[in-house]
Parts: sequence; structure tokens; C-alpha cells
Amino acid sequence: MQFSPSAEQTELVEKARAFTKEYIGPNSMKYDRSGEFPREICREAFKQGFMNPHIPAAYGGSPHTVLDHCMVLEEMATGCSGIATAIDANGLSQYPVILAGSDDQKRRFLAPMTEELMFSAYAVTEPEAGSDVSRVKTSATKMGNDYVLNGIKWWITNGSVASWYFVLARVDDKPTAFVVPADSPGIIRGPKEINLGQHASNTVRVTFEDVKVEERNRLGDEGDGFQIAMKTFDHTRPGVAAGANGITKAALNIALSYAKRRRTFDKKLISNQGISFKLAEIMTGLDAARYLTYRAAWLFDQGEDNAREAAEAKWFAADVAMKAAIECSQVLGGYGFTTEMPAEKLIRDAKIYQIYEGATEIQKMIIVGKLMRMKEVH
Amino acid sequence: MFADLRRITAKIAERFKRRFYGRTFNCPVCHFELAVVDAGSNRLLVCPVCGVVIDIEEVYGHAVPVVLEVELYRPQPKARIHPLATHVPIGLYPFAVLGAVLLAAGSLARPFLPAVEPLLARAPMIADATLVLLVLSVGLSILTFASGLWDWNRRYRRRSYRQIRLKIAFSILFLVLGGLAIALHASGAAFSPASGLIDLGSPASIVLAIVELALLSAGMAVIATLGHVGGTLVFGK
Ligand SMILES: Cc1cc2nc3c(=O)[nH]c(=O)nc-3n(C[C@H](O)[C@H](O)[C@H](O)COP(=O)(O)OP(=O)(O)OC[C@H]3O[C@@H](n4cnc5c(N)ncnc54)[C@H](O)[C@@H]3O)c2cc1C
Ligand SMILES: [Zn+2]
Repeated sequence: MQFSPSAEQTELVEKARAFTKEYIGPNSMKYDRSGEFPREICREAFKQGFMNPHIPAAYGGSPHTVLDHCMVLEEMATGCSGIATAIDANGLSQYPVILAGSDDQKRRFLAPMTEELMFSAYAVTEPEAGSDVSRVKTSATKMGNDYVLNGIKWWITNGSVASWYFVLARVDDKPTAFVVPADSPGIIRGPKEINLGQHASNTVRVTFEDVKVEERNRLGDEGDGFQIAMKTFDHTRPGVAAGANGITKAALNIALSYAKRRRTFDKKLISNQGISFKLAEIMTGLDAARYLTYRAAWLFDQGEDNAREAAEAKWFAADVAMKAAIECSQVLGGYGFTTEMPAEKLIRDAKIYQIYEGATEIQKMIIVGKLMRMKEVH
Repeated sequence: MFADLRRITAKIAERFKRRFYGRTFNCPVCHFELAVVDAGSNRLLVCPVCGVVIDIEEVYGHAVPVVLEVELYRPQPKARIHPLATHVPIGLYPFAVLGAVLLAAGSLARPFLPAVEPLLARAPMIADATLVLLVLSVGLSILTFASGLWDWNRRYRRRSYRQIRLKIAFSILFLVLGGLAIALHASGAAFSPASGLIDLGSPASIVLAIVELALLSAGMAVIATLGHVGGTLVFGK
């Protein structure tokens, strides 16, 4: 067992940290207030090689391992998890293509993303089907060599800026995956949703009305869609956990910096155990969440099944982040409640980690599913 | 169109501000935008608007200001000379600019619109009024400048604030631009003293008129910025 990062990992993390301190952290409030999509920051991230870190070298990418990627994401989310989501969300729609796409599909959809700044989106959730993905109703009707899609996809991250969508639809009753170019006639993008947090991330409704999709844009066979959509999460969930860890790290740093300087009752805040123990607890939570995250990522990199470990990391890191954000605000007192300080934003941003990419309850269902198949736990 | 223009000017202003102010954060009490560099090596900064003493530290690019103290006794500006004096140049200068713009427009319209000819009879008067307004606004801005320095000394205890640096730099710039515009206007080389108009037959006169208009417009941008920054120092965000 090895716990120390390699020299390359340390270098990568330091580069990501410098990027975060220069571009993300100082702009986090601005984008939180305006809700504008942080395209300029994404452009810089693209230049520095932080975007699309999953695309294989054969298609022009310079891929990171999932573990390396988690370490980078943790840094970026420490600056702002909304901006980090904007930078990273491509991965969720790219991975199904990496997993199930043909050479031609990879060339057409992945390769261009390494040449210029582009976005893509994962369109699975529907108004009536979130956790229970098997309920999706969007239909794909075969007509000659094409399919015709009809349906509503809901809460689609990157929905307004994507050049193409990964879409899960039903052919007869078979869940089937498609890659749909965003300029296809019949695609209607809704307005940006005003969410509780992560305002820099773009969430919209995407409606498909008689959208023609060529057969060559179907991923895998008819009926493979559910598997492709779900397998993707083994790859992306450690990254989501890493994002939550970034929030925890931001909460810890902000609370620590504040508690060391603010004075009450003639001493520094941090001299009170009531406050300093909170910091100790957040630190412990962060370490625990990180090791769960790193293990889930590492297992994936080794080609092993990580479904349970990724689920553990995702729900645990999200809960730690939520608690850390609330405690950070408590350490700051009234200043933790004002919008002029960075603490309240962390609370708003942390909440989504308990919901998207499979809510906490769903992660626990995955873990229980694995437990049911075990005789004893070692 | 108008919205686009506003967006572009806002972007330019924002760029300029970032250049001049560097990283900023908002005072957590009055929301005034403060520059991180204004905190000394001890990281301390007194908010010029509300007087709280702030210890500022950055973690991961997040500014984390901590309020340590409140500076209770802050002398008010004596006789409020600066706040009063400041409105004279700001009030008069735009009319000087308007005068020059009217003269330029009249000069250009004259060959095409004979109907304006009777109006142009008043051009020498406008040219004179422009000069008087310029001299008054730029001249009185010396008083504004001096009283501002005095207030900085008294009320803000000569502390370093980007806003005040910007005001000092822009005040000097305004004096230089205004001085040059006065000299040029008074020389009659741009707008002829006899007709009050640009001599379109003389390239030198055309060039100098363009220079005068450019000086005046630059002065307008400078004085508007000065007024805006000064206003934020009084009223906060
Ligand atoms: C900001 C944001 C971005 C998103 N981005 C995307 C995206 O890019 N692409 C995409 O496809 N989707 C996206 N989603 C959708 C997201 O994945 C779903 O919201 C999420 O999966 C939950 O689905 P739901 O909202 O329909 O909740 P429901 O499925 O209705 O569940 C409601 C609650 O009940 C719990 N629950 C459900 N079933 C059970 C059960 N059997 N036992 C116990 N508890 C249960 C859930 O955990 C949840 O807490 C996004 C959502 C948001 C808010
Ligand atoms: Zn203040």
C-alpha cells in the first residue's frame, strides 16, 4: 500500500493549484452573482490542458488517469465548484463515447474537442425520471436509416453550450444511447435554471421535437443504452466526490484562516476548543473522503470494478462537504451568513453533491446491492 | 446597439480597474470594494468608507477579510470644501465640451446647410464662452485637488488606497489635459477667433481642432471617473 503521490502527481496538483488561485478562486463570487457561463476561464483551462482529460491519445487527447484527474478536480473545486463543474462536465458525456463508441464516432465527436474549446452534455434525466433512469420516456423511432427522437431532457449540465448531446432514448422498449449534434433541427434549449448553488454551471432543459439522428450516431446496439449510461458513473463518480472534497477543503481553509485571526473574549477564535474541534473534524472528514475517492479512482485505473467504492466515495464526500460548509459558516458567525464572504456560497454549492450523478440514497442502494451478494465483509 | 456599447465600455472599465487595483474584495461591513494591495505588510487595512479595521488574507484565491476593530473617531472634512468644490468643475466642464462640439458641428454643416448661416453668427460668442467655462472648470479643479489632498491627509491619514491614488493621478491628468485644451483654444489655432469656427481650408486648423476635441473628450472621461470614484468614497458601493 502506498499513500504518497508521485513526483508527476505533485507537479500536476501544484499546476492545478496555481491555476485555481489565479483564475478560479478570485472569480468565484463574480460568476456566482452573475450566473454567467465561465467561458473565458474554460478557455484558459483548455490552453493549460485541464479540459477533456479523458480523451485517449489516439484521438488527440493527453489523458490523465482517473486518480490524477480527481486530484486536479479537488484543487479546482476548492476555488469554485461551479466553475470546476463547467470545466469538467464534458467528461460525463465523453465517457459513454469512449466506452461504447466506434472509431468513427470517436473521431467525429471526441477528436474535435481536443482542437478547440467545445462542450458536450449528458442528457439522461427527464422530468419524470431522475434516480430511476429506467423510466425515461424519450422515444427514438426508426425511420429508414434514421431515428426520430421526441422527449424532454431535464437539468442538463452544459445544455446551453454543448455542441452535442449524449442522449438516452427508447427504441420500442429498448433503452438506446445516441450522440446528437446540438445543431440538429428540432432541438430546443430552455433557459438557464436558477439553482440554489453552482451558479457558474449551466443547467437547462433540452427538448427534442422530431429530431432526426443518423443511425451512425447510435452508440452500441439498440438496448445497450442503460448499461452505457450507468457504466459511465463508475468513471465519473470519483470525480464528483473529488469536487465535493474541494468544497470541504475550501471550507476548512476559510474557517482556519478566519479562526486564527478573529478575536472574541480577548483571545483568538481558534483558541476555543468549541471552534478548533470543528476544524479537526473537518480535516478528518476531508482525509477520510479523499482516501475513499482516491481508492475508487485507483480501482478504476486498475481496470477493476469500483461501483461500490465509487458510491461510497460519492455519498460520503458529499455529506462531509455539506457539513464542512455549514461548520465553516458557523466559525465565521454572522459573516458566515453574508454574501460578501465566501462561506455561504459553499453551503449552497455543496448541496448539489448529495443530489446529482445519483443522489445519496441511490449510492447507498448500490452499496447495499453489493452487500447483498456478500456472505461476509472482509 | 446601446446595450452593446454599454457592455463594451463596462468591459474596458473593468479591465482598467483590474490593472490599477489588482485583486479586490468587498468590505464585509459596507461592501466598498477594496484592493488587497492596500493592506500593508501586516495585512491590515482601514475601510475608508465605514472605518472598520480589516485583516485580509487570501486562501485559494478567496479573500477572507476579518474585522478586528472599528476606527471610531475619524475627522470630518473641514468645512466640506472638497465635496462642494468638486461639483464646480464637474458641473461646468461638460458645457465647455458641448461648446466645442457645437462649434465643430457648425463648421462641418456650414458648406452643406446654408440655413445654419444665421446661427453661425453667434459662433464667436460660443467660442468665448467655451474658453471661459474651460478656464473656470480647470482653474477651480486646482482648489478641488488641493482640498482633496487635505482631506486625504486629515480624514484618511495619508493611508494608501487605490481609489485615492487613482484620484490623484487622474486629477493631475485632468489638469494637464485641461491646460492644453485651454492653451489650444485660446491660441485660436483650432477655432478661429474671428469666426469661432474651424477653417476647413487649412489642414493645420482641422488637425488642431481634432486635437482639441480629443483633449476635451479625454478630459470628460477623466473627470467622470474622478467623480464616480469620489462618490464611492463618500457613499460606499
Ligand atoms: C444542478 C443539476 C445538474 C444536473 N445535471 C444533470 C446532467 O447533466 N445530466 C443528467 O442526465 N441529469 C442531470 N441532473 C439530474 C440529476 O441527476 C437528478 O436530479 C438526480 O439523479 C435525482 O433525480 P430526481 O431529481 O428525479 O429525484 P427523484 O428520483 O425523484 O428522487 C427524489 C429523492 O428521493 C430519493 N429516492 C429516490 N428513489 C429512492 C429509493 N428507492 N429509496 C430511497 N430514496 C429514494 C432520491 O435520492 C432523492 O433524494 C442534474 C440535476 C441538477 C439539480
Ligand atoms: Zn467598509
